[in-house]
Amino acid sequence: MAKDVTVASGLIGAEATGHSAGPLFMRVTPAVHTVAMLQMDVDRHAGILRAGGGRSRSTSDSHGGSRSRREEIACGQAWSHPWRPLAGPALLERLRVTGRPRPKVDPEFVFRLRCHLDAELATDSAGEGRGDGHGAPGQGSGSGAGAGAGAGPGGGEGSGASGPGDTLSRLSPLVVTKDRLTRVLSCEAHYVAAEFGERTPTPAMACGAIVDVLFRQLVCVGSIGDPMADGLAALSVDDHQRGLLSWIEQLLPRDREGLRAEVERQAEGLQLRWPALESGWLPRTQEAIRAQLAGGSVELSARVDLAIGRPAEDEASVAIVEIKSGARRPGHRADLHFYALVEALRSWAPPFVVATYYTRTGELDVDPVTDELLVEAAGRTLIGARALRRVADGIEPVGSPGTLCGSCAVLPECGPGRERLEGLGGRDTTRGEDR
Amino acid sequence: MTRAAVRTAELTAPPVSRVGEEARRQLRDRLLSRVSASIAGLPPGGQVEVTLPLLRRALVHPDRPAMDEEPFAWKPVFVRRSLGLAVVSACATGRFRGPTEAVVPIATDAVAEWERTGWRTFHWEPWFSGLPSGARAVVLADAVGWATSLWTAFDWTAFAQVPQIGGADDHWTCPAPRTVRLKGRSEMRVPLTAPGSVPRGRQWSDTPVALVSVSGGCPERGWAEGLAYLALTAGLRSSSLPVPARVMGLWPDAGIHRTVDVDERALEAAADRVARTVGVVVGARVSTAPPG
Repeated sequence: MAKDVTVASGLIGAEATGHSAGPLFMRVTPAVHTVAMLQMDVDRHAGILRAGGGRSRSTSDSHGGSRSRREEIACGQAWSHPWRPLAGPALLERLRVTGRPRPKVDPEFVFRLRCHLDAELATDSAGEGRGDGHGAPGQGSGSGAGAGAGAGPGGGEGSGASGPGDTLSRLSPLVVTKDRLTRVLSCEAHYVAAEFGERTPTPAMACGAIVDVLFRQLVCVGSIGDPMADGLAALSVDDHQRGLLSWIEQLLPRDREGLRAEVERQAEGLQLRWPALESGWLPRTQEAIRAQLAGGSVELSARVDLAIGRPAEDEASVAIVEIKSGARRPGHRADLHFYALVEALRSWAPPFVVATYYTRTGELDVDPVTDELLVEAAGRTLIGARALRRVADGIEPVGSPGTLCGSCAVLPECGPGRERLEGLGGRDTTRGEDR
Repeated sequence: MTRAAVRTAELTAPPVSRVGEEARRQLRDRLLSRVSASIAGLPPGGQVEVTLPLLRRALVHPDRPAMDEEPFAWKPVFVRRSLGLAVVSACATGRFRGPTEAVVPIATDAVAEWERTGWRTFHWEPWFSGLPSGARAVVLADAVGWATSLWTAFDWTAFAQVPQIGGADDHWTCPAPRTVRLKGRSEMRVPLTAPGSVPRGRQWSDTPVALVSVSGGCPERGWAEGLAYLALTAGLRSSSLPVPARVMGLWPDAGIHRTVDVDERALEAAADRVARTVGVVVGARVSTAPPG
């Protein structure tokens, strides 16, 4: 049984890290994580380390952080230690203190950003002659409507009413999500091939879905019981997860045990490291955020795993955290930047930080949000939205060979993809998608 | 001023107009006349229940205005509003500092009360109590998210009194040849009183109110009529209470709020929309009815 678990864990690890499982199923973690992971026990309610945690008992400083860690860093000792994941107050401190001043709330800047996106996306519609001439959603309904929502930098907040694209909206908006953006920017041909039809579940997807709901449980309730049982119970009340749940139920016993082992390992790490979040910080999970652009013809849509912080007043005050059960990928940062953009457009104030927390390893990637980051994210979103519109309009998608080719359904008909694979000797060991 | 404070000031500003009794009677007659014409094609015994989601759906999908009929089964999405409202109410009265702190005790108390007395405050207590812990956590987390969006939408210290949060839906049954029932659901009722004024006895019955409605997604076409519909239903339901003076719609996902100051024109537009919707529903039913 133990061997089965190891093998299945290896498969999950390989899926999650993007490495081929190979005949020996050796790679559970990528090279950068081969050092044994040290964990600390954290009293979730007090945020204080318990004995045996491998570190001296620390006291919170003014930022809620660990003084002993600061002292270690100050005297240079930190760099002589093997890397270890942040936990408790130190984890919170890493989120709260980014090393940059929090951005001032600047509705004028967000307004200009929005106007730019509106104009570019509306021009796009006009150029293609696809506008249907309908008013923007929410417009022209008329009577007695004192709309308190005129878009503008003075604190107004309506988005459907703004911008030069008002007369160009379509009946159904083009919905831009982080996944669609990433996939269409990777390869339009692959995006089109993969857009229709359900994605086949994988152990990594199952692990990711379960860890997501366990994280919600931890944030909201403060504890996790039997991780696998809790996770499956949570999925069972989500209609969207029926297919995945059924797939998990049909797993062979050894694969299911492998999944269980990985879920339990990650859940244990979460419980050990994530401190309780104070109610006053208004933690909310799976928060939907949207921004309408170009008169409602384009909708940026995201669902963030965790948002913390009260709505901004003078300076940005919200932190957004994405939970990933797989390996780090460069594309994850682009996802975060997309979140920052949508939140800025929605709330007229950006988050002060966006971060990815990797539950396999305890790594926390933190990006302080700046105006430059938002401008870059807007540029990427614009390019992606145009590509999505092109493929939605049935224009021949462009094939861009890359890491997705190995798993692409249209590879046999794709010249650039085949050329790439031939260049690699027919073996593509990379995978482009995971949780 | 924070955005929440601006929104609160907009919600609680003095009413712009007041709909009188004669206008209300004329509105009722007009609605009855138009709905009676629309409903004529419905077989005897047929009935239509009009709700805000139906108004929206009939506008966007006139070919299939009704949701697919599925046997009712409890889901987290059916719990989050009622539990979320209880959470916001408890926070507004100072019992808890925030939704995360409030949600577990409120749900636990509701289940305990049902187990002790058999009384279901929310209706979902038996279902919730039978859930395994992981599924319960989803329900609670959904409610926290919903409650937080309403809790952060306003400056609660700026209300002269704690608003009514939740409460019964407004119902009005149209005395047409076939049953047409209007159902309006709003999340808050805010008395539009001067700051510092104190209610005495039953004087609240004369106080105009503002309604608050929370929706997912982004505002759709016809949002103004949709908001006015809530005032229409509340106004028809009881002739002893004034027609709501204002309706504010919140779309937290999109960070948008919109306001309708209720006057006769707004109510007429809403009544016309109701009649059109009934026509669409009847048309769809007739077209899908089996021959014979």
